Amino acid sequence: MSDAMVEVRGLTRLFDVSKPWLNRVIEREGKKFLRAVDDVSFEIAKGETFALVGESGSGKSTVAKMVVGLLAPTAGEIAIEGINLADKGRAGDLQFLRRRIQMIFQDPFASLNPRWRVDKIVSEPIRAFNLEGDEAKITSRVGELLTLVGLGGDDGRKFPHEFSGGQRQRICIARALASKPDFIVCDEPTSALDVSVQAQILNLMRDLQQEFGLTYLFISHDLSVVRHMATRVGVMYLGRIVEIAESKRLFREPQHPYTRMLFDAVPDLAMSGRPHLSVEGEIPNPINPPGGCTFHPRCPLVNERCRQEIPQPLPVSASIVSCHAREEGRRQT
Amino acid sequence: MSEPILSVRNLVVEFPTRFGALTAVNGVSFDIDRGETLGVVGESGAGKSLTGAAVIGLLEPPGRVAGGEIVFDGNRIDGLPPEEMRKIRGSRIAMIFQDPLTSLNPLYRIGEQLVETILTHVDLSAAKARKRAIALLDEVGIPAPETRIDAYPHQFSGGMRQRVVIALALAGEPDLVIADEPTTALDVSVQAQIIQLLKRLCRERGMAVMLITHDMGVIAETADRVAVLYAGRIAEIGKTRDLVHNPQHPYTIGLMNSIPSLDGEGDRLVQIPGSMPRLTGIPDGCAFHPRCAKCFEACLSAHPPEFSAGQSQVFCWLHGEDAPHE
Repeated sequence: MSDAMVEVRGLTRLFDVSKPWLNRVIEREGKKFLRAVDDVSFEIAKGETFALVGESGSGKSTVAKMVVGLLAPTAGEIAIEGINLADKGRAGDLQFLRRRIQMIFQDPFASLNPRWRVDKIVSEPIRAFNLEGDEAKITSRVGELLTLVGLGGDDGRKFPHEFSGGQRQRICIARALASKPDFIVCDEPTSALDVSVQAQILNLMRDLQQEFGLTYLFISHDLSVVRHMATRVGVMYLGRIVEIAESKRLFREPQHPYTRMLFDAVPDLAMSGRPHLSVEGEIPNPINPPGGCTFHPRCPLVNERCRQEIPQPLPVSASIVSCHAREEGRRQT
Repeated sequence: MSEPILSVRNLVVEFPTRFGALTAVNGVSFDIDRGETLGVVGESGAGKSLTGAAVIGLLEPPGRVAGGEIVFDGNRIDGLPPEEMRKIRGSRIAMIFQDPLTSLNPLYRIGEQLVETILTHVDLSAAKARKRAIALLDEVGIPAPETRIDAYPHQFSGGMRQRVVIALALAGEPDLVIADEPTTALDVSVQAQIIQLLKRLCRERGMAVMLITHDMGVIAETADRVAVLYAGRIAEIGKTRDLVHNPQHPYTIGLMNSIPSLDGEGDRLVQIPGSMPRLTGIPDGCAFHPRCAKCFEACLSAHPPEFSAGQSQVFCWLHGEDAPHE
C-alpha cells in the first residue's frame, strides 16, 4: 500500500531481564531476554484509527513506544510517510517528522508536570518547534487549544491538580495538538477515567480526528472502546499479532480462537443470557513462552502442529489470521 | 420472606476536617437478603467503597459513621466496640479487596495465611485446619492444591492470587461477603473466570454478596439487584434486569448510554456533561442537577425522596407529582 501513513515491518523488541553479572557467573546461567514484541507488522492508512487490543503483557504499549521513538526496536523497521525512523542520515526529515507525531498517555495524573501551569505545559511543544513568532501569538494559540478541547480560556493560569481526571486528559490532548500533528499514538487514553467521562473524551477524540484529519494508533485493553473508535484492529497475544481485520468484520466474525475467547469473556451487559464458553488459563509468563503458537496451551483447537510450528499470518476471508487451525479449517467440536 | 441478612438505614459517613465535616456517604439505605447479590455501582468518589468499609467496620480514621444504623442478622453492628467487631469480621462478614497483590502477605506461604485465618475463626486442630485449607483452595479452582498450598503469593499469577484471596474470605464461612472491585485489577479473560467462580460459590454456599464495582457489565453478569450511587447518595435501586433495560434516574440513563457497546456501530456516545462533584462542593438540592438535562425548580431546592418508578426505587423529582409533563 502506498498511501500508508505508518508502516511497521517485522518489529521486535527484547528486554534484558538477566540477573546481575556476578550471579550469572556463580549460578552459571546465561543472559535471559523477554521477547515483549515479536515480529509485528501492520500498516496504518492516513486518517484511519488502527487499534491494538490485548491483555496485559501482550506488548501493545511497547509497540506504541517504539512507534513514537521512545524505545529503539531490536529488529524490524518503522517508516512514517516513507521515512525510516532509524535512518540517522536524514536528521532534518526526522526533526520534521517528530513534530507531526504526538502521544497521549494513559494516566493523566502522571503525565502532566505538577509544578507547571497549564499554559506552560500546552505551550511547550509550540516553543520546542518554534511554531509561533512571539509571546502574544503563543498565548492566543494556547487559549485556542484549550477552548478546542472544551476547557475555559482562563484555565491556563491553573495548575494540573486543580483539574479532575477527565479535564487533565483534555489538557494532555491540547498539548498533543499544540504541534499540529498528523499522527497521534494514544496509549490507553481512557482507562484511568470513569465511564461517563470516558464517553466525553472518546467523543472529543473523534471530533478532533474529523476536524484535523488525524491518524490514530489506539492502544486499549477494552474491546467495547476499540469497537467504538477503530477502523481496523490488530489483536495481540504474547507479543504477536494474531489477527488483523476491519473493525466491523472482526467483531462480527472473529477468526482466531484467542479473539473469540476474548469476545466471549466480555461481561454481557445486555443480559441476553448467552452462555459463556469456559475460558481456560491465563497469559503465560513471557520470559519462557510456550513453543510453537504461543496460544496453544489455552486453545480449544490445538493439535501437534500448533505445539511445534509458529503460525504465519495468512488471509482468511478478508481478515489476516495467524493460526494453523484456521488455515486447515479445523472446527470446534 | 425472612428478614434480610444486612439492613442499612440512612448511613452517613463523615470525614471531619478543619473546615467542617465532609459528608462522603449521605443517607444510604438498602437491604441484602440471604443468598442475594447486591451490586453497588458508581463512579470514583461516589462513596461505594466507603459504604462497604462502613458495613465491615474498616473505615480509615478520621472517617467515621456519623449517623444511621447497620443491622446485621438482627443485631446492630455500627458502634460495636472493636473487640466485638473483630468477632464478626472474618467469621460472619468477610471482605475481598481489589488488589490481590496487596491483600496477601508476601512473606508467608499461602497455606500459613489460610490456616491462620481458619484457626482464628474455627476451633480446629492444626492438621485439620490444613486439610480445610486444601479443600478451600480446591473449591476456588486452584489446580493441585496439596502442593500449591506451600507456595508464596509471588508464585501465583494475578487470577490465581485473587482465587486465594477469595479462599481466605471463605475461611470463616461468612454469611455475607463484601467484594470491593474484585475483578478490576484483572484481565478480561481472567475476570470472566472470577465472575463465574463468585457466582458458583454464592449458589453453592448460599452466601450473600455485596459487590462493589464501577463496571456495569460485571454487575449485569452477577448481581440480583443493583444500587447506583452518585455523590454519596443512592440515585436508583432495583432489580438488575429492570435497571439495565429500563433505567429511570437521568444519571443511570446517562451512565448506561455512555458505555460503548460491543454490537453497536461506532456512532457518537451519549455523554453526561461535567463530572462528579468533589466532596467540598456537592451542590444543594439533588446533587446531580448541574449535569442533568431535565432539571427543574424542585431539583435546586431539596434532595429528592424515594419514588417508585417502574419496578425500581428512584431518588429523582422527575418521578414526583410536581414533575413537568413532557
